[in-house]
Amino acid sequence: MEKKSRRSFMKTLGVSIGAAGVVGGSSILNSCTQVESTSGDTITLLTSSGELVKVEKSQLKPADIPSLSENQKRGREGLPGKKFVMVIDLSKCRNARQCMKACQNHHQLRPEQHHINVLEMQDAENTAPYYMPKPCQHCDNPPCTKVCPVNATFKREDGIVLIDNERCIGCRFCIAACPYSARVFNWFEPRDADKYKGVTYNIEANVPQKKGTISKCLFSADRLRDGKLPSCVSACPNGVYWFGDQNEDAVTNGTTHETTSFSELIKTNAGYTLMPDLGTKPRVYYLPPKDRAFPFQGEIEQHHS
Amino acid sequence: MKKQFTLTLVIALMTVYQGMAQEWLVPDDQKGLTNPSEYNLSNVKKGKDLYMKNCKSCHGDPGKHNGLPLVPPPPDMVSEQMQKNTDGELFFKITKGRGGMPQFETTISEDDRWRLINFIRNFDPSHEQLLVDAPPQKAKLLASVNEVEKKVEIFAEVDDKNGSFVKLPNAAVKISAKKAFGNLPIGEVLTNAEGRAEYQIPETLIGDESGMVNIVVQLDENYVTDNVVLDAAKVGQPKPQPRLIKKEILWSTNENVQSWLLLSYLGAVGAAWAAIGYVVFQIFKIWRVGKE
Repeated sequence: MEKKSRRSFMKTLGVSIGAAGVVGGSSILNSCTQVESTSGDTITLLTSSGELVKVEKSQLKPADIPSLSENQKRGREGLPGKKFVMVIDLSKCRNARQCMKACQNHHQLRPEQHHINVLEMQDAENTAPYYMPKPCQHCDNPPCTKVCPVNATFKREDGIVLIDNERCIGCRFCIAACPYSARVFNWFEPRDADKYKGVTYNIEANVPQKKGTISKCLFSADRLRDGKLPSCVSACPNGVYWFGDQNEDAVTNGTTHETTSFSELIKTNAGYTLMPDLGTKPRVYYLPPKDRAFPFQGEIEQHHS
Repeated sequence: MKKQFTLTLVIALMTVYQGMAQEWLVPDDQKGLTNPSEYNLSNVKKGKDLYMKNCKSCHGDPGKHNGLPLVPPPPDMVSEQMQKNTDGELFFKITKGRGGMPQFETTISEDDRWRLINFIRNFDPSHEQLLVDAPPQKAKLLASVNEVEKKVEIFAEVDDKNGSFVKLPNAAVKISAKKAFGNLPIGEVLTNAEGRAEYQIPETLIGDESGMVNIVVQLDENYVTDNVVLDAAKVGQPKPQPRLIKKEILWSTNENVQSWLLLSYLGAVGAAWAAIGYVVFQIFKIWRVGKE
């Protein structure tokens, strides 16, 4: 009796598994024929270059999005053979603040957070005040990377200093170490946090931003990988920014798209770097604010009494 | 009280608005100034170069009314609003600027500002037009790079309006090198009577890692051509690639420490251990003596 019941149980089990297999298999087949039958349908898509294209639905495949670890590895290596350099012509800046706007849009920054900030400067009591855009200086001898206890911020082979927000523990040692105050801390939930939910973190744009970690200017490393100029450089309406590869000694203006020799530009206009005495060797050069077309319109408080 | 405040605000705003719409007043002694710069082709041409560099971004191309949509709108050079100004008025306005119009007192010399007015007067119907912009001609451009002699050889042809192409003499050809974000101008040559030109590439030109350069050749703006982008040729210096970082070092102190500091530190540590060892040795000695 007992034996028989076991046998019958095995029998029913086998039959049911077999039946399930047949049903499952036919349903898979069914779904295949369904795909086949809808292959005439097209769908309109927007490509990354901004064109609308029609694609057959059956042709659609999920895109290869680099995984987080791949992204982090690629981001640490940088672009081979390049050494990026920025030249800021202070004689052209009229405080349009388009660079700041473009930057905050690109890097998901709150209005009070600045990767690049246009400052009102006056060097001494009787000297002329001027506007000075100040991004991260991407030093060749960066004090910030040396104090990081978890190796979250680092210098790349192409000259860019980056942060890995996945590693950052928010200790803010680097903020203390940076003499240019280039770094910002995400004290609150970043802007548009809901919009970026579930997006793979891109180390080359620091997007999505993470509460409780550091962020700073990255020369728009993700755009450079695509061969585009950084956001701020492209957004400037007044021709303030020159950007290029120092190895090939050429910089391109973001507004006029004119290209010139980097060493010539620096030499003829007496370019300089900020706080050279610290030995940080910045990769951002400034051209002095002489012969300005636009008068200074800000209010400078007299701190030099 | 509140009403009074609103009223004041409205009046203040109205005055500001009126101020904006008001005529651009030029002092009487400036109005009558005559242009010391002669109205001739060379001055008009120089004025055009200045216009292209300093004014075009807002005022647009003369006659095309494609200036920037600002408030108040920057007038076109051919417009009556522009041409009804006297030379003196134009000079004052360029010099001093107002609102969106920057001052050019510090950036363009006085002579050049008068030349700019020469150029503006080129579009005055009551003047003889000296600089006539001919419609651009169709042209063809062929070029190749001689890697051994480091030369670019150029051949230019122009449409003779009968549909056939003839050689183009005496045309300026611009030569540039392709860089990461744009083309770097490196030189300019004129074509000879045969429509041919040769350009010697300078020794100092920097290419990529192996010295390869993409040369771009183009004719000036009087001709319509496709720019010729030549295949990469080995005509430049290989670009230097100094290493920026040795390796990633966490707490990078060992690399930078000075030897006297390292020695004195190690000495101090060694001395401390020696002192402890000495004390232990003495205790051991006492223990041995006690045993005896």
